[in-house]
Amino acid sequence: MTTEATPPPDATPPTDATPPVAKDGGGGGAGAGPRALARQRRLRSVLRFWRQYRTHRAGLLGLAALVLFALTALTAPLTVGSDVAGVTGAPGRPLESPSGEFPLGTDRFGRDLLGLLVWGSRVSLLVGLLAAVLSVAIGALVGITAGHFRGAYATVMMRITDWFLVMPTLVLAIALATVMSRSLGTIVLAIGVTSWPTTARLVRAQTLAVESRPYIERAKALGGGHWHIMSRHVLPNVMPLVLAQTTLMISSSILAEATLAFLGLGDPTVVSWGGLLQEAREAGAVSSGAWWYLVPPGVAIAVVALAFTLCGRAVESVLNPRLGVAR
Amino acid sequence: MTADAASAAASAPAGAPGGPARGPRARTGASYLRYGAGKVGGAAVSLLAVLLTSFFLFRLIPGDPVKYMTGGRQVSAEQLAAYRREFGLDLPLWEQFTDYCRKALTGDLGTSYQFRAPVIDKITEALPNTLLLTGTAFVLYTALGILLGTRSAWRHGGLGDRLNTGLALTLYSIPSFWLGLLLIIVFSVGMGPVPGLFPTGGMESGGEEGFAYVVDVAHHLVLPVVTLVAVDYGQTLLVTRSALLDEMGSDYLTTARAKGLRDDLVRRRHAVPNALLPTVTLVFINLGRTVAGVILVETVFSWPGLGGLFYQALSVPDLPLVQGLFFVFAAAVIIMNTLADLIYPLLDPRVGR
Amino acid sequence: MNTQDQHGRARPGPRGRRSRTLRFGTAALMLWAGLATPLGPAPQRAEAAEDKQVLTVAVAQSVDSLSPFLASRLVSTSIHRLTYEYLTNYDPKDARPIPGFATKWSPSADKLTWTYTIRSDSTWSDGKKATAEDAAWTFNKIMTDEGAAPANGSYVTNFRKVTAPSPTKLVIELKKPQATMAALDVPIVPKHIWEKVGDFSEFNNDKTFPIVGNGPFVLTGYKPDSYVRLKPNKDFWRGAPKFDELVFRYYKDGDAAVAALQKGEVSFVQGLTPAQAAALEKQKNIKVNDAPGRRFYALATNPGARTKDGERFGDGHESLLDEKVRHALFMAVDRETIIDKVFQGHAVKGEGYIPPRFPQYFWKPSAGQELAHDPAKAAQLLDEAGYRKNGDGKRVGKDGKPINYRVLCHATDPNDKAVGQYLTEWWGELGIGVTLNCLDNVSDPWLAGTYDLAFDGWSVNPDPDFVLSIHTCAALPTTPDAIGATDNFICDKKYDDLYAQQLAEYDPARRAEIVKRMESRLYDTGYMNVMAYPNAVEAYRTDQIKSIETMPSDAGNIYGQDGYWSWWSAVPAAAEESSGGSGSTGVVVGVVAGVVVLAGAGVFLAMRRRSTADDRE
Repeated sequence: MTTEATPPPDATPPTDATPPVAKDGGGGGAGAGPRALARQRRLRSVLRFWRQYRTHRAGLLGLAALVLFALTALTAPLTVGSDVAGVTGAPGRPLESPSGEFPLGTDRFGRDLLGLLVWGSRVSLLVGLLAAVLSVAIGALVGITAGHFRGAYATVMMRITDWFLVMPTLVLAIALATVMSRSLGTIVLAIGVTSWPTTARLVRAQTLAVESRPYIERAKALGGGHWHIMSRHVLPNVMPLVLAQTTLMISSSILAEATLAFLGLGDPTVVSWGGLLQEAREAGAVSSGAWWYLVPPGVAIAVVALAFTLCGRAVESVLNPRLGVAR
Repeated sequence: MTADAASAAASAPAGAPGGPARGPRARTGASYLRYGAGKVGGAAVSLLAVLLTSFFLFRLIPGDPVKYMTGGRQVSAEQLAAYRREFGLDLPLWEQFTDYCRKALTGDLGTSYQFRAPVIDKITEALPNTLLLTGTAFVLYTALGILLGTRSAWRHGGLGDRLNTGLALTLYSIPSFWLGLLLIIVFSVGMGPVPGLFPTGGMESGGEEGFAYVVDVAHHLVLPVVTLVAVDYGQTLLVTRSALLDEMGSDYLTTARAKGLRDDLVRRRHAVPNALLPTVTLVFINLGRTVAGVILVETVFSWPGLGGLFYQALSVPDLPLVQGLFFVFAAAVIIMNTLADLIYPLLDPRVGR
Repeated sequence: MNTQDQHGRARPGPRGRRSRTLRFGTAALMLWAGLATPLGPAPQRAEAAEDKQVLTVAVAQSVDSLSPFLASRLVSTSIHRLTYEYLTNYDPKDARPIPGFATKWSPSADKLTWTYTIRSDSTWSDGKKATAEDAAWTFNKIMTDEGAAPANGSYVTNFRKVTAPSPTKLVIELKKPQATMAALDVPIVPKHIWEKVGDFSEFNNDKTFPIVGNGPFVLTGYKPDSYVRLKPNKDFWRGAPKFDELVFRYYKDGDAAVAALQKGEVSFVQGLTPAQAAALEKQKNIKVNDAPGRRFYALATNPGARTKDGERFGDGHESLLDEKVRHALFMAVDRETIIDKVFQGHAVKGEGYIPPRFPQYFWKPSAGQELAHDPAKAAQLLDEAGYRKNGDGKRVGKDGKPINYRVLCHATDPNDKAVGQYLTEWWGELGIGVTLNCLDNVSDPWLAGTYDLAFDGWSVNPDPDFVLSIHTCAALPTTPDAIGATDNFICDKKYDDLYAQQLAEYDPARRAEIVKRMESRLYDTGYMNVMAYPNAVEAYRTDQIKSIETMPSDAGNIYGQDGYWSWWSAVPAAAEESSGGSGSTGVVVGVVAGVVVLAGAGVFLAMRRRSTADDRE
């Protein structure tokens, strides 16, 4: 990968090797120095990162939107409460158009759609996040090990990766969701398991680049095992890439969640944005002109997906200015 | 899922040239043949792996096809066993699989449980419809993506670029099915001053002939194609743009400008053709993915293609049909990728082993 | 002007680009021409009259087969009703059996031989005469060839022998008396065509058109998931249909179908949601037909799945074996709310098993017998049955674990999911957990008995025999792997005795009396909680259809009737009102093309201006 062009923030190496010594207890008081140093260095690189990130207006916009959505989702139990999803106590008539009482109208059960939208953000964001984390975790694991071990293992892993890469993701995810029972876990799994190969390839390339550096040689010569090399040297160096990848992946996971829910493969008892869209369609909102049932969830999905994409691109371009994205 | 495709594509060309070395044209016909044979062989292995996956993955779908076929009739255990024998479902899985592969090689993908017709017939029935939709959309969004991407890169940082990439990213974040529904509401049902100009779904009104038929199909094609183009042109745009930006720092462009060539000519004659090379990969990957990703748009617009068929087949589960369709979807992507691999070194002398 | 100058200098650029765009355009057109033209072996039409009256019906369900021996989906059997004659038909007024292919029928004194007089004025669409021989051949084929049995095999299981002593006489000998002999819904096919068919299990009757039949319509074209086209049979003995063509057009999406109706692309749409019906009611030229349905919508209890020999299988919750528990669950369901909120008034509150649409068989519980909505009483019943609440407010089963019922629901039915949410909350208040298990295809857990409760629903025929038979012990499967005709494994001695009585009872009034007693018994067991009779909610364009026969004649439905009445009787509205002709399509396409070109030019110009502006920067 091209990330080599600029030294990643964490690239100044050998000090990284010391913390495990400190943990062993053998280093004692001497270990505190390097650890503090490392902490300072990290802090500095985070600050440097932030200073550069700040220059990306689109990235800031995306970040602001994300903070807003995250706050909405986290405070939802206080602002709307789980009662909004209850059908027996629904406050309105089915499919009321927006009014003072219901700013976004009501759904087919007479529930407040604004409340549902807020409540649904929890599931949509959670599923998006978990699926992305799962996907990136698998990708990073495969990428790092394939980059580290080489040989037959790497060949096999990369063959599998390439093969997953050409699989029609949506088709495979639909198939997986059909095979398993309808639940949030299924959706997370279906998305995570099908979308990791991109990350694996990127991470492997980065791993290869990192491992070709002289200090890895040195670490090996000093007796660093596979686990030590991978966790102490490679992982910190691929971490920025992994983070950027996660941000981008969340965006596509949220879209994928909405897609699967829309195709009726989600859990019907859980409120999510994609699920709301599917309910709207089932209730005939498109032809009966109930736009308030259809437009807000779609806009919410698009805005969150866009926000994550903007953030991801900004992070990517800070780490790798050569790509020149969003500049 | 689209974002994932874009990053995949964005990384692929970066990885493809295999190092910065702009070596001499050492490639000979023989080495290209060897390279090509390797790629084709890899594709064949992939196809076999797809066959394997589709066969075993879909066996996991809960649901006994034989019970579906008998449709609520009172059937004894013996009769059920007879049905299982007829469809070869009583054999050990491994034998079923080898049997399936053997037949697949001769173009026989089995018999659909729900339509009681050869799977291959059902697929060839729907395939042209899907190709018509995706092919049209593909040509348009590739053209649009390259055109706008070039413009964006050339004047990068300007207002036009920001609007351009901003719009592309926004459309790219919109769920395609949702956009389709909105288009139906506005342009098909009609909303406010906008009359319902386009049909709400399907591929033809039926009963038209000759030129009128072509016009009728084209009329039905507009909204689904617009939907696909809107959500898909973004990634072509972004990749073209970043490829061109990479290229723009090159010395030869400065030289060309220094020679006094007009800006416009430098762009058209030098920068764009070179920057388009990585886009080729993306273009082919896209075509394959579009075929597979068309399920949603086909569902929303009642387009009688492979996507709708797949969805129907999954709910039964109509195993032979599901397997056949999955194979077609995956094969589309694999074949297109291989084509990209084969064509790429012919276009770019730097690649080739 | 400066821009003008810039524009001038940039000339060569746009021209080059334009030609490239042109090349792209040409490529796209060629792609189209290549793909689009061979697609449609355009259906042959004798005369391409522009003012043809076409009745277009929106459908969503795919045709499973056009062979009457295989088809079981509603859309396919409806098409067979239109293209083939059945021995009898049903009166649109009261669903009484009336002559179809047979003009008269009567049983012998021992009730075991039925003789049908076949009409002599029916001809196949290829000119050959339709006779009793065709009917006998059809029945014999179903009886002897397993490959021809899938669709209608259940009608002939009790037949001993079918013969045609003369072209106008058909004789059916039975093994046991059977009261349903005037309700044999089996399409009669032309022997001279079908005897050439080899393997019936693989023949779908969809290769050569027109398909030879003798119904009111002739099937002239079919393209899967696109359309089914039918022409009127001018020689039909009851009189030819009034429309020049009947087309079933596919809209996989309900909203797309409704939108098509609003635009006049189709004349008729069925299966409307409450919201769609409300929106359409406000529109000009559209009539919404909200008719009592022939379906019941119920919650079926797993009474402990078992085979005919009493071998138990499946894993239904043991507490459901207790009638008190079943009654408690019954009473915790507020059917009024379901009608009001889920169906939004487009359904009738459920009572007995058979919908009020069939007044001769409709039964409702007496005041003392009724299990009315009463959550307090329900809680009390559960306490009495020994299922008390634990510290967490959950009711505990005999095994000491909190009770949690798995409710099987159809993922494709929005009503299941909606009612399921209400159940979760209602039973939750009783202290009973609910897990909604929504599947595309429920048949596997259903047949295996691995569920506790399930959403259930059947369309009831004018003759209720079938829906009654599915709750008899005889319908249970022979072994756990076999498939029985049973709906949900109910087996009740009292009910079975009554069933046998009604089947042998040839007097309609007395038979109806027994049927009502069966419904009463079924209600008391609490196995089937009939929550609603959903209405058939349909709409059609009054500027395309002037009149159309519903069934029953007053306040009945149109789609999926027991007969061909609706489409056969439909009268076209005045010609000048019809819309959606090919002429207007051309105009629309012209307009669209214009708009696209203009928009393209606009974008192009805008981009030029922007780029020149950038140049200046």
